[in-house]
Amino acid sequence: MTTEVKTKVIGKSVWRNEDPRLLTGMAQFVDDIELPGMLHAAFYRSDYAHARIKSIDVSAARARPGVVAVYTAEDFGDYWHVGPLQVPPPLAIKGAQFNARPLVPIAKDKVRYSGEPLAVVLAESRYIAEDALADIYADLEPLPAVTDMEKALEPGAPLVHDDLGTNLAADVYQQVGDYEAAKAKADVVIARRFFKDRCAGGAMENRGIVCAWDEKAQKMTVWCGTQAPIPMRNAIAKNLGLSEDQVRLVIPFIGGGFGPKVMTSMPDDVLLPWLSRKLNRPIKWIEDRRENFLATTSERDQIHYAEIALTKDGKILGVKDVFYHNTGAYDPYGMTVPLNTQTHTLGQYDVPNFYTQIKMVFTNKMVVTPVRGAGRNYGVFVMERLMDLAAKELKMDPVEIRMKNLIQPHQLPYKTGIIGQDFVENVLDSGDYPASLKKAVEMIGYEKFVKEEQPRLRAEGKWVGIGVVNFVEGTAVGPYEGARVTVGNNGKVVVLTGCSTQGQAHFTTFAQLVAEQLGVDVKDVHVTTGDTDQFHWGAGTFASRGITVAGSAVYAAATKVRAKALSLASKLLETPEEELELADGVVRVADLPSKFIPLGELAMKANPTRGTIEPGVEPGLEATAYYAPPHGATGYGTNAIILEVDKETFDVKIRRFVFVHDCGTVVNPMVAEAQIHGGVQMGIGTAFFEQLVYDDNGQLLNASFQDYLMPKATDMPMKMELGHLSVPSPLNPLGLKGLGEAGAIPPPAAYAQAIENAIHDVDFEILDMPLNPSRLYELVKAARKK
Amino acid sequence: MKLEGEHVFKGPREAVWQMFRDPEVLGSALPGTQSLNKISDTEYEATMNVRIGPVSGSFSGKLFVSDENPPESCTLTVDGRGAPGFAKGVGKVKFTENGDGTTLMQYEGELQVGGTLASVGQRMLDSVSKSMIRQGFESLDKALEARLAAGEGKVVDYKPPTEAEFAKAVAKDMAGGLTQVAELRMLMYIVPVALVVLIVALIVRGCGG
Repeated sequence: MTTEVKTKVIGKSVWRNEDPRLLTGMAQFVDDIELPGMLHAAFYRSDYAHARIKSIDVSAARARPGVVAVYTAEDFGDYWHVGPLQVPPPLAIKGAQFNARPLVPIAKDKVRYSGEPLAVVLAESRYIAEDALADIYADLEPLPAVTDMEKALEPGAPLVHDDLGTNLAADVYQQVGDYEAAKAKADVVIARRFFKDRCAGGAMENRGIVCAWDEKAQKMTVWCGTQAPIPMRNAIAKNLGLSEDQVRLVIPFIGGGFGPKVMTSMPDDVLLPWLSRKLNRPIKWIEDRRENFLATTSERDQIHYAEIALTKDGKILGVKDVFYHNTGAYDPYGMTVPLNTQTHTLGQYDVPNFYTQIKMVFTNKMVVTPVRGAGRNYGVFVMERLMDLAAKELKMDPVEIRMKNLIQPHQLPYKTGIIGQDFVENVLDSGDYPASLKKAVEMIGYEKFVKEEQPRLRAEGKWVGIGVVNFVEGTAVGPYEGARVTVGNNGKVVVLTGCSTQGQAHFTTFAQLVAEQLGVDVKDVHVTTGDTDQFHWGAGTFASRGITVAGSAVYAAATKVRAKALSLASKLLETPEEELELADGVVRVADLPSKFIPLGELAMKANPTRGTIEPGVEPGLEATAYYAPPHGATGYGTNAIILEVDKETFDVKIRRFVFVHDCGTVVNPMVAEAQIHGGVQMGIGTAFFEQLVYDDNGQLLNASFQDYLMPKATDMPMKMELGHLSVPSPLNPLGLKGLGEAGAIPPPAAYAQAIENAIHDVDFEILDMPLNPSRLYELVKAARKK
Repeated sequence: MKLEGEHVFKGPREAVWQMFRDPEVLGSALPGTQSLNKISDTEYEATMNVRIGPVSGSFSGKLFVSDENPPESCTLTVDGRGAPGFAKGVGKVKFTENGDGTTLMQYEGELQVGGTLASVGQRMLDSVSKSMIRQGFESLDKALEARLAAGEGKVVDYKPPTEAEFAKAVAKDMAGGLTQVAELRMLMYIVPVALVVLIVALIVRGCGG
């Protein structure tokens, strides 16, 4: 099944093509774009989380000098529309109930979360626009807010969507085998309630958009930081009643995406292009940090009621997990996040009976869409915690109970029977799970730590603990991506693809894939991502799919170009194709390197100005290709950590951090490692730092980096010890699997296990995340009182 | 957020009430207060401007008095809105004669805040409130002292603190543990400060009426 690829540049830590521009400040970001006559937008937002709109007085704002226009929902007239959903409902799952309530671009009649826009001001400068916000008076009648998922489903709870008659956004269950029968046969059943709170995407650069309608060309150009340029272009064209080719999206450099930037049909991309066309002026809007915290999208809070049934020797018979997922005020992104939770709960374990149910709930909180990890980490947290509780109950070693229940390599590909976010059955396609666990245990020196070091440190009075957890990462889902590869007359290669780049090094890794096939220098391959006038097919950069889905398309297109180059060169050099090679920017006779033709010259000959080209041959050294996976490729790994809890402050210091992963063939090890580092930073954030705190009235209490804690460099491990496994995926020619989210998935579970292990003299359980020193202190204090 | 505490005024309850009947005294104890008007026996209206550092905005608030039992106690409902957000509070205030010529004021209330106040100012709200309340009472103490010295009904020579003096004192109270740039610090203080002062004033004013 797997393809062994002998490579020249794939697998090398090539330095990044994009870095010279980024490091010298020559990279263009959305806010760098300045156009003549450009207006600046600012949104007036609701302070209330739930309120009826009685009236909005914008007359004073309109009268302010420098203000060009102020629009409320009413002023948009017939253009005001709901949605659409960005991800379709989960119809592929039998019996799924889903109540679609897509975003509205600007609140009409009712406000459903704090920060929802009520008016948009367009002014000659952002200063004036912001000042004009203070001139607006919205007469809002506050309504009781609902933020708690369980309370939201109680009778008489305030309704987020009155017409729905319930706050239940979706109810979806899936099962494999018969959990109740398994439970009846079990020796041990452990049930707990788990809670994991919300975190922000927290990209360095917030959302932003510049749109410019050209009346003479009848064309709309939009610059923005979206992760999904083509869906957004299509949405804008549809909204404005234009053909797709009348809208061009250009995605400049982006200062991080992490999920929330995959959203389209947000207030900015619905309202501002329409206003730009109406006023015939370019418009810029750059989101500020507080707006980003309040009103973009964030990641999920979930409550799980989970149980595990085992035999007394630690073999898992079944798992049941009924969980609430808080989608916030609307559900524009369908069920991607909770479905990810469902497909990742069992992770690497062979569990014959599984019942999993999602109750998705509307509340007066910000809308939830994927953030790096995207629900996977929640499933993993619950399952790994259940494993730890089972180990404790059965007096087994946590590593031993895990090893006992792993899916074995011969069982792969393993059909899980659970339909995922891509609406096809989740299949674990490739890997060696026991090898991953073994490697992590060896790397961290588990045996030695537990038998020698830990007893010694405990004798010194230290709280030092170890945690070892497994995870899987479903990546590289469909539908497809495409790419076009063109050799220019100068011998340099241009690569176009429809997905966009938020720092993943696509300008380098895609170039490596092309350089591999065409024998050119990686630096001579210029990659353009996310310019819809240049390439207009694709879905976007999300779900760890860039290198695998778009990369496979790039590789396929380069392969076609290679074939074309060989065919033409064979004729020109009068040498059979088999005797030719592509290297150093030329096609040459392998045994007679002085007999060659440069790629640029070949490109010119492939595009003659007179004469003819042969029937069936397309002109130019150019080809387009697409790649569509049948289902996602699943990465996996093991996270092993040793940490110390300070007995005075309850702060946690990481002593060792081992991360073993398998993303199949690695295109650029340096980039892959950096992806893990970044992911781990977010994983540690969600374990011990980051939390969006809402009060009962739906007010976000920490909407700034002053109060919302991100892990600092000093909170990260001194050394990241990475272990690489490389079992190629059978799903694509290069054997690629995604990796972007891996690091963000297991740390909360690893922290929980290691902290419990560290504080060995107190009997307590960590069931909620994130932790922080004071919460940990409270937990320990409560346990000591008992 | 819960607001509760007590304060002893060095004067008889009657004099304290006299002071509270004078909107000028209360208005001057609050920097930025533009008006504090009685609409009816149970309803008051206040507007207040805040413009310090990067924060600017006006607050308008309404106060409803209920369960009035003059001069001993009452319940107050406060509803304030402005550019920095909104606040809604319900509080109970009680005045007791101490028997030694002083008057004990006790208050307890529940305050809901929203908007920037909540999302940016939350962390400082509690401690800033304490500083503001302390200062507010200090001002009122001085005013009361001046009034008692001058005798009832006469014009008293009392100079209220300026906005800047007020903010400076809060900053001083809050100093320690903060390393942020000055402007950010101001944002954190001033908004909640203004609100708390407004509410305390309204509470006091409401009972005074």
